[in-house]
Amino acid sequence: MNSHREPGDYDLLVLGAGPAGLAAAGTAAEHGLATLVLDERPTPGGQVYKQPGPGFVVRSPARLGRDYLRGIALAQAARGSGAELRAGVAVAAIQGTTVVVADGAASYRLRARRVLIAAGAHDRPVAFPGWTLPGVVTAGGAQALVKSSRVVPGSKVVFAGSGPLALAFPAQLRHYGVNVGLVLEAGPPPGPRAVLGLARAAAGNAELLRDAASYRWQLARYRVPLRYRRMVVAAEGTDRVRAVVHAAVDARWRVLPGTQERTEADTLCLGYGFVPSDELLRLAGCAFGYDEDLGGAVVQRDGWCRTTVPGVLAAGDVAGVRGALAAVDQGRLAALGAAADLGAIPAAAAARLAAPIRTRLARKERFRAALRPLYAVGPGIYELATAPTVVCRCEEVTRRELEHAIAATSDVNVVKSYTRAGMGLCQGRNCRRQVAALVAAATGVPIAEVPVPTPRPPARPVSLAALADDSIRDEGLFIRD
Amino acid sequence: MTDHASSAQSAAEAGAAGPGPLLPAAGELSAPLPASTDVAIVGGGLAGCALAYYLARSGVEVTVIERGELNREASGTNAGSFHFQIAIHQLTGSDSEADRARLLADVRLHAAAADVWSELEGELSTDLGVHVTGGLMIAETRRELEILIRKQRIEQEAGLATELLTGPALAGFAPYLASDLSGAVYCGREGHANPLLAAPAFAVRAMAAGARFRTHAPVHAVESLDGPGASRFRLRTGAGDLLAARLVNAAGAWAPEVAALSGLPLPVYSDGLHVNVTEPRERMLTPMLQHIGRRLTLKQAANGTFIIGGGWPAQPEQPPARYSVRWDSAAGNTAVALRVMPALRDVRIMHMWTGVIAFTDDLLPVVGEYRRLPGYYLCLASTGFTLGPIIARMLAEHLASPGLHRMPAEYAPDRVPALARG
Repeated sequence: MNSHREPGDYDLLVLGAGPAGLAAAGTAAEHGLATLVLDERPTPGGQVYKQPGPGFVVRSPARLGRDYLRGIALAQAARGSGAELRAGVAVAAIQGTTVVVADGAASYRLRARRVLIAAGAHDRPVAFPGWTLPGVVTAGGAQALVKSSRVVPGSKVVFAGSGPLALAFPAQLRHYGVNVGLVLEAGPPPGPRAVLGLARAAAGNAELLRDAASYRWQLARYRVPLRYRRMVVAAEGTDRVRAVVHAAVDARWRVLPGTQERTEADTLCLGYGFVPSDELLRLAGCAFGYDEDLGGAVVQRDGWCRTTVPGVLAAGDVAGVRGALAAVDQGRLAALGAAADLGAIPAAAAARLAAPIRTRLARKERFRAALRPLYAVGPGIYELATAPTVVCRCEEVTRRELEHAIAATSDVNVVKSYTRAGMGLCQGRNCRRQVAALVAAATGVPIAEVPVPTPRPPARPVSLAALADDSIRDEGLFIRD
Repeated sequence: MTDHASSAQSAAEAGAAGPGPLLPAAGELSAPLPASTDVAIVGGGLAGCALAYYLARSGVEVTVIERGELNREASGTNAGSFHFQIAIHQLTGSDSEADRARLLADVRLHAAAADVWSELEGELSTDLGVHVTGGLMIAETRRELEILIRKQRIEQEAGLATELLTGPALAGFAPYLASDLSGAVYCGREGHANPLLAAPAFAVRAMAAGARFRTHAPVHAVESLDGPGASRFRLRTGAGDLLAARLVNAAGAWAPEVAALSGLPLPVYSDGLHVNVTEPRERMLTPMLQHIGRRLTLKQAANGTFIIGGGWPAQPEQPPARYSVRWDSAAGNTAVALRVMPALRDVRIMHMWTGVIAFTDDLLPVVGEYRRLPGYYLCLASTGFTLGPIIARMLAEHLASPGLHRMPAEYAPDRVPALARG
């Protein structure tokens, strides 16, 4: 590691080259900010606008779909405006507007006047009996596989999920030739009231409505059965998934007894929405609020995407899951705010340029509100694990072991100490909510008020070779002068 | 599908042989305080919990009062190593007779601690993750090797079996070490336990023997009572008042604050400690590694992760936060680890944590009664997960039968010169 390797400091450091990050970088650089975008993946685009991995030659861009083209356009716009893009670089730590990054060979520090965290979101983890079996994949994982490696998962797929994007995944998978045998939606079928609400909110959201209709139409065209108000409750099999057990649920996503059915499948694809990948926001010390439909804990921001930590901004799904189109607009808003804060453009100009963006974002927010009755996430999602179900897969901690620890203490840090749940490679990304739900159930405290364990770096693992620095002086503890 | 019975069932099992470690039930920790007790212990860390166990087992009435949760500070945030060899920070460099005597006594105490740890899982009838792996104290330079040889003679004299390894003998014994190290001392009794399990297990067994525990009860004031009556102290706590005939301050890094409530000076200091943990790997390293000249402890835990620490500082934070991770400490600490064990190059650091550590000027424990305030005791192990159980047992034996078991003068709270000043 070498702290002085990077002599040039940046005006804006963007963490994440997805829709929000690329849009922010393009806008910021266009207004004269020295901008650097980092992404841990080998190619820019993020999850939704994911590009094929290195080594893949794209001969027919149109065949890869609209998201691929949108990603290309954003990355090109960012580069064209003068922003620097650095791929394959992971952020390990952040303090104020200084970040420590690692690229596999070395780790080093970067300083900027503003840092925009645009780390995106990951699939909402759901623990149920059999969820750790080979053949159980997340929608995001399956999508990444198809988009970046052109690998098609499984020969008979059951898709289980919910949300406006839920139908997009099976439709997309089907489009790539995957045999999707059954789609389970936890929400209700769109009734007349919801449709009316959507129609009212539709003004200016034509693109979103068109997308939703096209997914539904594609599923119908391929004759994929779509069943509403049903959820997965177990995956069966020993070496891998052989069958999926599903059941009817109520409006709170709680299983109705006696409604279980079994469907043979070799792949179970889960798409119960996304949760913000908020590790860097946590490490930075930002304040959080809570909205389950946006992914649970949601960072607090002002109208220019500024968090409660001076100099640190957040845009896109990392600040509440609203999708790629909203992320692009938020990224632009954050960049305009930063440009005004840093004196690159007058405040009045920033406000003028932001006005149409704010109008678009407000429209999307109305659309989201209209969708809420259909896709509100029910608490039943966190109640599917049985006593022997492994909840923390990194450290192999079962629900029974967690409840044993929760009987001794309601302090999440102590539960973590007693069980090791959340200490593994994923740093609690997969089990944090499940553990919080168990603490909530045992103590009667709402899940929104269960605190998050103390965040600790590194946000991503760093090799000793990359981290070690021989020039650091041994400061010496226990010896007082 | 959900097993609704499991929650109630596991609550009932907490404290008995349940799924997972031996943990006290939350309900037992929030019961009302008794009006009075023989021994009141302030602090629910390893020292306090162990002391409660040894006292209750001897039939002494004891009540533990803890400000927060049990085992949350130094006792539960250290790396769980037993260090029995003399470490770098204990060597002053002076070869005075007093210094030698201090080190001899210290090594003897550590050998007794080794006995306690080796029997503890049997004593408490539970798994504490105790692994006696042996430990190597590494010397990098010629000068460090000389220090190693000198310190090993003291260990031999005190009765701690250690062995000096150099050249091909070291390479044969520990082929994973860098080939250009000058030597190492091996102690077969060193190892580690799980610091998350030891204090809670002591607490469960103490409660079974009649000890009472009350968590989330900060002590606001301590009044010394004169006149007739068995109770010499009244503790005003967040959970009400408690009268006690004897009071033990086992508050670790916060012991000076508790002592100050009684007007007692206590030069105990505390620092934040930085620790790194790697991803799990196949077994590469059996003994724990330490460095005689630089700050390093390195071991591979039972789950395959490498735990890398050794006294690098953490960043102090504004209360209520304690310490945050310091990137410079991670970079410096891992550089020493790589110098000693180059094969770790590609292993990835997965997690870092910080903990508090309390220590005295002479790095010896503070255990025993204040001469200036009879009935007031201290139980503090100075940098010590290793010594927590042994000093608690010593003090318990003394409190149970003061005439039979005298406390060593060198550990007295108002010993001269270091601790009596101020």
